[in-house]
This record gives sequence, structure tokens and C-alpha cells, in this order.
Amino acid sequence: MLVGAFACAHTPQLLIRPETEDRELVLRVHAALGRVKQRLTALRPDVIAIVAGDHVEGFFLDAVPALGVYVGADCAGTFGPYRYRFPIHEPVARAVVEQGIERGFDLLYTQERALDYAFFVPLHFTMPAPPVPIVPLHVNVYLPPQPTPARCYQWGQALGEILGARPERVVLMASGGMSHFPGTDRYASPDFEFDRRMLETLAQGEGRELAKITGDELDKTGNVELRTWITVLGAAGPARANLYCYEPSWHHGNAVVEWLL
Amino acid sequence: MTQLHYRFPPASAYALNRWLFRLKSDAAARDQYLRDPDVAMQEAGLSNDEQKALRAGDRDALVGLGAHPYLVFMVELRLRMERGTASFEYF
Repeated sequence: MLVGAFACAHTPQLLIRPETEDRELVLRVHAALGRVKQRLTALRPDVIAIVAGDHVEGFFLDAVPALGVYVGADCAGTFGPYRYRFPIHEPVARAVVEQGIERGFDLLYTQERALDYAFFVPLHFTMPAPPVPIVPLHVNVYLPPQPTPARCYQWGQALGEILGARPERVVLMASGGMSHFPGTDRYASPDFEFDRRMLETLAQGEGRELAKITGDELDKTGNVELRTWITVLGAAGPARANLYCYEPSWHHGNAVVEWLL
Repeated sequence: MTQLHYRFPPASAYALNRWLFRLKSDAAARDQYLRDPDVAMQEAGLSNDEQKALRAGDRDALVGLGAHPYLVFMVELRLRMERGTASFEYF
């Protein structure tokens, strides 16, 4: 059953803070992530299914999957000095692949692939004690052509049904967003107005509206990673979003959200 | 419609993107590059223009040559971490 749904920023500056970043802002985002950790502790999930957009780490141009599932015994990656490894909840991961394909989603699956820091950063700050196994769900956000928001929403709807029918207590978490433009000439001018409009829409329980956004609009507003949120929204349906923080830095709209299922 | 920020990576830039990918993700490649950038980039099959842009850290030139902006961004950060030219707080 699906017992919780969250979205968490994963900017690497939350983990490794350069002097260019406002320390107080970073700590406020940490506090919001700490609230997610408290909620996860209370929700007692058996598994965290985490939807993240690979930063050209697990998947390079030699093979570019739109949607994928990690189904190995565990998964691991590195970022700077950090070495991380998470056990995978194999029965749930396998159910997602098998039933996803049965439902018409032509998923990639992998039993050995590097795990991007987009998965690691939110889990680093929110994993309850004792830790629970995860199911990493890949969405291509950075290598065009990416899956459309509408397709991500459909995939989320399927995920909601598949996970909802499981006996385990499952939390679904989106990693990423909001507006930022890494590596481009717009890095220092994110579209915070777009973010605030989206958060207002989400607070009203109208997340399905995000499925209507075009891929071009996501690119234009620095929100290619919002595909991970839109996937979770497919599962969360009309649930209203509770905003834990929105902290715009000089280059990034840092948001942490829980959907009240 | 103005040009997208993240565009389909042209096949002509594959060697460049592959090298940026390795610099971002492979410590041995970073070591090699920091020791001897010219040899490293030649072995990676980069053109003269690509080598010049990377040596200069010229983001706009690299992106103009077809480099993926995110790769350029993270390579720059990883090289700064490696060179110790900036200080970081780790959480």
C-alpha cells in the first residue's frame, strides 16, 4: 500500500556546500528534510520507492532509457568523497518491472548500474533508522528527447496502482527540482515565479494540471527535473501538497513537499 | 521558440561528451587530465577547438561545440574540488 508521497530537492550544494552558498539557507533546507525524516519514521515504510532524474551518471549517450527500474540486490554510487550503497527491495522492484511492462510501459531494468547522487542526497538526509530498502526509479530528464510530462503522469498512475496493491508499506519520493539551469547561461536566473505558481497548484490538489505542461516549457523554466514530481503526482492524484520549504538560492528553487494522501 | 537549454547531443560531439562524462565520473581520468591535459585530451580524440575550449574552461564554446551543459557544469565543479581551489563544507 502507498503510505506516503514526498518531493525533495537534491542539489549537490546541500551535501557539499561551497563558499558561494548561503549557509543559513542550506540549513533551512536541511531542517525541512529533517521533517521528512520524522514523517518517514512515523509512517514506518517497508520500502522507499524513489523517482530521480539521472545526471548522466548511470546512463550516458551509449544507451538512453526514458524510464527504468533498478532491480539488483543492491545499488551503489559515489559523489565526491561519499560512497553509498542501498539494498533494493527486490519483490517490489520486480513487481514494478513486470506489472509495468504488462501495462504497456516499455521499461529498462538494470541489475548493475551506477546510482546517481540524485537518489543519494534526499536519502542521506531523510532515511529513517533503522534504514529501509529502496526501489530506484529512473526518469530521463537531461538527455533529449525526454519522456513527456503526460507520459510521466501516466507512469505515476500505474505506479500508484502497482504499489497500492502491494502488501508492503511503500513511500514514494520524487527527487529533484525546482527551477535551475545547471551549465547554461541562465544559471544565475531561475524562474521562481513559475515555481511558486506550481506550488500553489499543488497546494490545491490540482497536480494533474502539471501533466499538461509541455517538455519545452519545462526546459524554458529550468524545470526538466519536474518530471520526477509529475511521476509521483500520477500516484498521489488529487492529494494536496503540504509545503515544508521553498528556499530560492541564487541559482536554485529548493523545495520540499509532502502530499497528504 | 527560442533554443532549448538542453538539446539533443549531436553525434559530432560524442568524443567530447564522452571525455566530459569520464572527467565527471572517473577519478583516474581526472588524475590523468590534471597531470597532463594535452596528452589526455589527444588520447580522448578531441579536436583542437574542443581542446582549446576545455583548457580555457570556456562553457559557451564547449556548449557551442555540442557539449552537454550539465556535463560541463559538473566537470568544472569536480575539477575545482580536485584542485583544492575552493573550500567546501561536507554534510
